[in-house]
Formats: sequence, structure tokens, C-alpha cells
Amino acid sequence: MNRHAWQEIKRQLRESGAAGIVAVVLVAVASAWGGILWTVHSWVQTELLAGNRPATVVAIARGPAEAAALHDAIRANMPGVATATLAPRKVQEELASWFPELATVLLTLDERSFPPLVEVEVTAAQEETLVPWLQARPEVTLVESSRAWQSRLEHTVSRFLIAGFALALALLVGCGVVVLLVVRLLVLAHADEIAIMRLIGAHEGDIRRPYLFCGSLLGATGGVLGASILVGLEVALRGMLPTLEVSSWVLGGLPFGGALAGVAGAAFGLASLPSEP
Amino acid sequence: MLHSRFGDTGEIPNCTGARARPPQRTATDRGLALAEFVLPGMIALNGITKSYNGRPALRGISTAVDRGEFIYLTGPSGAGKSTFLRLLYRAELPDSGVIMVNGADLMMMRRREVAEFRRRLGVVFQDFKLLRRRTVGENVTFVLSLLNLPDREQQRRAYLVLKQMGLQHRMHAYPDELSGGEQQRVAIARALVLQPDLILADEPSGNLDPERSHELLELLKTINYQGTTVVVATHDRTLIEAHPARTLFLEHGRVVRDAWVTAP
Ligand SMILES: Nc1ncnc2c1ncn2[C@@H]1O[C@H](COP(=O)(O)OP(=O)(O)OP(=O)(O)O)[C@@H](O)[C@H]1O
Ligand SMILES: [Mg+2]
Repeated sequence: MNRHAWQEIKRQLRESGAAGIVAVVLVAVASAWGGILWTVHSWVQTELLAGNRPATVVAIARGPAEAAALHDAIRANMPGVATATLAPRKVQEELASWFPELATVLLTLDERSFPPLVEVEVTAAQEETLVPWLQARPEVTLVESSRAWQSRLEHTVSRFLIAGFALALALLVGCGVVVLLVVRLLVLAHADEIAIMRLIGAHEGDIRRPYLFCGSLLGATGGVLGASILVGLEVALRGMLPTLEVSSWVLGGLPFGGALAGVAGAAFGLASLPSEP
Repeated sequence: MLHSRFGDTGEIPNCTGARARPPQRTATDRGLALAEFVLPGMIALNGITKSYNGRPALRGISTAVDRGEFIYLTGPSGAGKSTFLRLLYRAELPDSGVIMVNGADLMMMRRREVAEFRRRLGVVFQDFKLLRRRTVGENVTFVLSLLNLPDREQQRRAYLVLKQMGLQHRMHAYPDELSGGEQQRVAIARALVLQPDLILADEPSGNLDPERSHELLELLKTINYQGTTVVVATHDRTLIEAHPARTLFLEHGRVVRDAWVTAP
């Protein structure tokens, strides 16, 4: 790339004007959106859905005596795990504290309407054997595990993410199309000049390279803007979600992805260039 | 006489009338056609025809130009001078015939080779063809940048050649800010700066005053003495008579005379 090529790129960026700005903004929006999705995805994975997060298994017993027997059986079967038995009264109070707006109603009910619970804190691996074991016990009416809602959450989140990434991809293709149009306009405006450059000995590469570079610069600028938006959001949300972190891979990848979309768009835009006889 | 292939009589053997050719040339046919010409020549045309929308612009041109020759191409407007030159720098391909320039068979040339081929030519276009978005200096250095010459060398050569054209003070002007004659001189500077093997100039004095026209011809002659082949298309008879050389007369797409024109 020589001085002439750089000057040509500068001129093209200037000439791309409003259309160029639209391209940059669109790439910024698309890349910020993609970056947000990716960050949320990783955050959900590590914070909410981590496979090694301890699980809480709650077994509802038929009565206080069964609850006590169950407690002992768990102790004997899995020594060392944290087990707690909640009497009906305690369950009632606990529920009332979780739902303060229902507290008055809950606390007026007879405590016998609440079942005794046995709560077990286990690792993910222990949970897998514990749940079927509990379900097979005669003292137990119902077993609930925190891993169950985790997998339901995982399912829902993955659906949202697939839809989100599809949208990001569509936006990125849109960016490519806008760059294509920008480059096509430039090529049309420069048709005479391109013909002259050929006549005085310019290779196709000498002619096309500045356009490709211009397209990739528009894309990369959009990507850098998108990355800045992402960093801004991270800083703004730090108070609420201290563990939320944008990975440096994402920050580095956005300008690269933008540049790629730009080059692809420019390459398609150059297809309208008439060729030599 | 070195400069005239066919002598000074003005007689041209086998030049007029398109020879009927089979639609598909065979390899032997092509080889024979090429063998008609001395290989070290700069330009060799055989049976060249070219029409636009069915209207013939060139009708069977056969001629040869040696390396180091200086020739004029003259004739009335519409005779086919520019078309002839366009074929030589391969802006267009002929409908039929064989055309060799600077050792290359233009019909057989691959796209990739065209740019390299043109870098060995200096073309002064009738309509100048300057790059409007670039300054005078950039127009001249552009062709040098294609050769990957260092910046400093590009600037130096551009300055020298523009000085020769009396335009060194307009380096930073854009073509649209120049007069017709000044634009023409930039176009000439751009053609000369590469020190090409062959200069093709289409009406290079069309916009110049008589004094500058004669200076330009002197310059082209000097360059020619240094070994560069020069082809000048012009309808300015007085110019040819003042700087005599071999002259091809074109009329209605045919070479009607090929002679050394001398001052009256
Ligand atoms: N691109 C084109 N399309 C159609 N016809 C053309 C084209 N170029 C040239 N012609 C025709 O070919 C003939 C030769 O044109 P050419 O430009 O070679 O003439 P010329 O000798 O250079 O004339 P002038 O002295 O006016 O420059 C003319 O009749 C012209 O109308
Ligand atoms: Mg002409």
C-alpha cells in the first residue's frame, strides 16, 4: 500500500459521506448487540448455570416423624452433607418471610397445613444420586431440586440466545449490504477514473484494494464504536451486576468482525466494476 | 532510408482492402501472419479491421513500425487515427487481424499482462484522461507509484518532467483548474515520466499554441533520438512539414499513403 493508495482511501472515506456514517452506525449497533448477547450468555453460564454450583434438594415428608427418620437416613447414607429439617411451623414462617404481602394470610393458617421439609445441600454430582434415592423412599411425597429450575432456565435462555444471535447475524449481513451500496456508489462515481487508471497501467489489485480497505475501515470503525458502547454499558451496570464482565476476546473480536463484514460488502460492491475487453 | 518501410514513393503494398479471413484462425495461419514481420519491430499490424455498430472505422490496415522510429498518423477527422492508436494500447481489440506491439501479441494477451504491457507505453490521449480527483503532481506520480518507486524518487521525476512542460508551479492544482493547453501538457508529462519504450500521442498539440506545439515536437524528436519509438496522430500538416518524418495517411479507415513528408 503506497502513499497514493492511502490518499485514495482518505478521499473515498470523505466521499462516502452520509452513507458511510450510516454504515458505521449500523455496524456499531450490530456489533454492540452481538457483544451484549455474548456477554449475557457467558454471565448466565458462569453465574447461574455453572455445573459445579451446589444444589439444594428439598424433600417433603409425610409427617414430622417421617421427616426425622428421613433426616437420619440421609445422615447415614451421605455423611458430611449439610442437612436440615424444617418443622411445619418453621416452613410457615419461612414462607411468610419470602412473601411479605401474603404474610398475614399465611400466618393465620393452621400450621398443620404446612408439611415438614428436609433440606439437603449437595454438590452437583451428589444431587444426581440423591434425587432418585429420595424419590424411592416411602417417607417422601415430593422431591424438588434447584437443578431442575436451572435446566429449565438453561433451556429458555438458550432459545433467547439463538434468536438473539440470529438477529445479530442478520444485522451483520445488513451492514455488509450497506457497505456494498456505499462502495457501489463510489465505484459508479469513479467509473471514468477507474477506466483511466486501467489505461495507464494500473492492475485490478491497485484499483480494488483502496475500496476493499475503505469498506473494512468503515466496518472496523463501527466495530470499535460497538466495543466502546459495550464497555460503557459494563461500567454503567457495574453497581448492579459486579460480576458482569466483557471479555477482551469480545472487545477485540468486534472490530475484526466489523472489518470482515465491511470487506465482504466492498468485495460484492466491486462486482459492479466493468472489466477489460 | 531507415524510417520508411515501403520507400518514399508513397506506394503501399497490400495495405488497402480487408482480406477475407476465415472466422477461426488456425495456429499455422497465425504463425505465418506473424512471420511476415520482423520480430524486433515495435509495431506490426496485419489485416486489422474494426467497426462500430456495423460501421467500419478501420478497413484492413497492415503496416509495421521499427523500434526507434518516429511516425506521424494523419488524415481527416473520422479517418480512424484515434481508433488505430486505441488498438495499439489495447483499449479495444480489432474485429480481425493480427496486432503485435512491443513484442506482445495483443489478441493473445491475458488480462493480467495488459497492465504490465501498458506500463511500458506512454499514451497522450486526445481527451487527456487526467484523474480529476488528483492534483497535477499526483497525476504524474501515480504511474510511478505503480512501479513501486520510492516517494522521493517519484516526486523528483514528476518535478523534472513537469518543469520540462513549464508546469512545475502548478503541481498542487487540480486538472479542472487548468486551461486546456495546461491539461494537455500534464497529460504529456504523465506519458513521458515513465521513460516508456513507445509513446503514442493522439493530437498532442491540439490545444497548444503554435510555439508550444513546435517545442513539444522538438521534445518528442529528442526523446526519439534517445531510442524511444514515437507515434503521433495529428491533422496539423504544418507541424508535420516543420518536423518531417515518416507519415501514414489514413482515409476512411485505410492507409492511403505511407511516405516521408518533407518540407515544401
Ligand atoms: N466508440 C465509438 N463508437 C462508435 N463509433 C466510433 C467510436 N469511436 C470511433 N468511432 C467512429 O470511428 C470512426 C473513426 O474515429 P476516430 O476517432 O478514430 O477518428 P479520428 O481520425 O481520430 O478523428 P479526429 O481527427 O476527429 O480525432 C469515426 O467515424 C467515428 O465516428
Ligand atoms: Mg482522434
